[in-house]
Amino acid sequence: MTQTRFFTSARIAAAGLAVGAMLLTGCAATGNKPGGTDAAANASAFLTIPREDMGTFVQNFNPFAPTVNPMVQQSIYESLLVFNPAQGNTVPWLATDWKAADDGKSITFTLRDGVKWSDGQPLVADDVAYTFELQKKLKGGYEYLDGVSAEGNKVTFNFNKPWSPALYDVGQLSILPKHIWSALADPEKDANAKPVGTGPYTEVDNFQAQSFVLKKNPNYWQPDKQKIAGIKMLAFAGNDGANLAAANGDVDWAPQYIPNIEKTFVSKDKDHRHYWFPPTGAMINWQLNTAKAPFNDVDVRKALSMAVDRDQVTKIGMSGYAQPADCTGLSGNYETWKNTQVKDNCTWTNHDVQKANELLDKAGYAKGADGKRTLKDGKPFEFKISVGSSSSDWLSVANVISQNLAEVGVTAKVDSPDWAAVVSGYETGDFDSGIVWSANDPSPYKYFNTSMGSSTVKPVGTKTFDNYHRFGDPKADALLTEFATATDQSKQKDIANKLQEEYNDAAPLVPLFSGPEWGAYNDTRFIGWPTQDNPYATLSVRAPTTVLVLTSLEPRK
Amino acid sequence: MRFILRRLGFYLIAFWASITLNFLLPRFMPGDPVSRMFARSQDRMQPEQIEALRKLLGVDDRPIWEQYAGYLQNILTGQMGVSISRFPTPVTEVISSQIGWTLLLGGTALVIAAVVGNLLGILAAWRRGGAVDSALPPVLVFIGSFPYFWLAMGALYLFGVVLGWFPIRHAFTDGAEPAFTTEFLGDVAAHLVLPALTIVLVSIGGWMLGMRNTMIATNSEDYITLAEAKGLRPARIMLRYAARNAMLPSVTSFGMGLGFVVGGALLTEVVFAYPGVGYQLLNAVQGLDYPLMQGLFLTITAAVLLANFLVDILYVRLDPRVRSN
Repeated sequence: MTQTRFFTSARIAAAGLAVGAMLLTGCAATGNKPGGTDAAANASAFLTIPREDMGTFVQNFNPFAPTVNPMVQQSIYESLLVFNPAQGNTVPWLATDWKAADDGKSITFTLRDGVKWSDGQPLVADDVAYTFELQKKLKGGYEYLDGVSAEGNKVTFNFNKPWSPALYDVGQLSILPKHIWSALADPEKDANAKPVGTGPYTEVDNFQAQSFVLKKNPNYWQPDKQKIAGIKMLAFAGNDGANLAAANGDVDWAPQYIPNIEKTFVSKDKDHRHYWFPPTGAMINWQLNTAKAPFNDVDVRKALSMAVDRDQVTKIGMSGYAQPADCTGLSGNYETWKNTQVKDNCTWTNHDVQKANELLDKAGYAKGADGKRTLKDGKPFEFKISVGSSSSDWLSVANVISQNLAEVGVTAKVDSPDWAAVVSGYETGDFDSGIVWSANDPSPYKYFNTSMGSSTVKPVGTKTFDNYHRFGDPKADALLTEFATATDQSKQKDIANKLQEEYNDAAPLVPLFSGPEWGAYNDTRFIGWPTQDNPYATLSVRAPTTVLVLTSLEPRK
Repeated sequence: MRFILRRLGFYLIAFWASITLNFLLPRFMPGDPVSRMFARSQDRMQPEQIEALRKLLGVDDRPIWEQYAGYLQNILTGQMGVSISRFPTPVTEVISSQIGWTLLLGGTALVIAAVVGNLLGILAAWRRGGAVDSALPPVLVFIGSFPYFWLAMGALYLFGVVLGWFPIRHAFTDGAEPAFTTEFLGDVAAHLVLPALTIVLVSIGGWMLGMRNTMIATNSEDYITLAEAKGLRPARIMLRYAARNAMLPSVTSFGMGLGFVVGGALLTEVVFAYPGVGYQLLNAVQGLDYPLMQGLFLTITAAVLLANFLVDILYVRLDPRVRSN
């Protein structure tokens, strides 16, 4: 008896201590400023960036590696052009100009003069041609590409069919130096420990298992834009460590997801800490397996979509940081492509329980006495929503949807095994429904092709890597073919408008919200960050636009 | 000697069973490394690249028996292949670059927890009902029953962030060059304190209670009474007579613990951003990186079996009863 009582009192005392400690720490939280505020220290400081999903780094700067080291495609190698989704504009980079042939079967890029590799050799058209040869050989893809020919400062990409989506596809690939890579016996297995690139920060310095530095490229083509001394990457095994470093003011840039960012990050130093989550990520869809009944019925898809309260989904699932979808199916990344006519007259992406019920009644899925609907074959209207267990945000999205559906008499069970199991179900078509990402290119071609192009549909049982929901639409096919051959952007826009009308009619997927591009920064040491008012890039550190930020930042004076 | 040979035979069979499981388990998981990589890239990869990637990574399409034969052969010749998630780094290199930190962290924590815990257990049992015996066990059990993650976060926040006594991440200050200088070793030690301390805190209670309980049983043995009657010094009776006999279960746990150290301390690595094989293993499992997974499991199995074998041999020395059986 005495023993038990002792345990209880000790427990209470210790709990009191713990709570006291928590209160103290809460009050005493301070923001350690990185470096200092004086100009000299800032000028020699490294831009410090956390990498949250690599516990340690390996000195491998090979862009062909399946898991590429951070900054390889952002600050070491550069591409011909950079597409900025935040503004919908294209920035000429290693190429100053490009022109598609009238028949759509080739594009010619004009290379910028005076670009040098970090070892001092000039960038030549042959480097570009060689890069694509190597890329095709090692990693495949680019099946439309017949060949690349180099002449003077011009590079021409020849296609085996008119193929306008190629512009960004080839335009955003990192260009490699032929004189280095052609000398390697096994280019895909080389660690490329001392990379030679055209980017602003290429010189690897002080490489350790958990940190490394990239210093200035001595031969950069825009020396006036290399204002910071270098970049320092820090390794973290998970978001928690990276978030702590950000909250503690030890890093300048925090591209990972920070929960409750106003309180945990911004509030510690309101003048210097900012975040910006533009909706330029991929559209996050709730996909219904259209190879199965009842999801092959467009009315069912639309009714289920109307039953979903997207405001609630984004508020609960995404902490209010995401922008609810409209019936064009396009995310904020494609803002300039959106058909305003379609967008302003959306019906099936608006929350409307009454209409959803009416539509389901009309389509023949009657409600029983218990308020639950039955399918046409008499079975209950029940299905699963599959989401990977590690994505807690999407899991809450699925739970909200499941609750919403209960209001229209449909039972949806959230099924959350490991992502790998979920995805292998998606691939073979062995699933009812799931929350998925989608294509996020500069051009909406791939998005529409993978959401309703018949060419991407595989029968159930055969693996597919896009169009998991297995929806094909002959009307969309015709438009997609037309889009691929259109070289003129205004013509492409016309076709994209029609594609959105078709999407609106067919509802191949249930679009939920535009994925936000997470990004936060601390401008104590460096200024010139992209913001909502100056959206010259996003705050992503893994996007093609990252190089735009690296060449715009400067030390605070 | 016959005892050792018999144990050795047993360990060989155990080793074979575990490497076979090691081979089979990852292959029962759905999907393959390339489709996982594809799913993770969330459409940043082109589907046409999958075949090329499969070829590049050497994803095996051979029948499972052939794969198994090749696998056994590779293990016997010490070839563990190339990691898929860290391609093209060889598995041995991935493991060897991390295992040092894992051994340092796990070893330090285990030795401190075992030594201090056992000493406290001995003291508590010797002075039953005394200050050590009545105050420490409940406190240590209480701390030990905290979720480790919570305790580590709390310690990190209190001692690292608020008080600033210890560094809050990594094994050494970023930018420092590893070298055998007092400065660098001091830096490593400072970075080791919090991660090791939290592990010690959650595990020490078990050591102490275990030792205390066996020690109490031993204290009531006749030979202790005899020793006391002979008028031996209490310290000698406590350590040489009681503790030595009560130590056997602790030796077994220590051996087991030593083997499991090799598996890494995943949560510690995550909270303190400490390098080590734990996070590597998690990544390997998530990415279905068969070669790395096999390499890590093999290392863990080998370490656990080896540690047990050593304990078995040590037992022969410590406990004469084992010899006569």
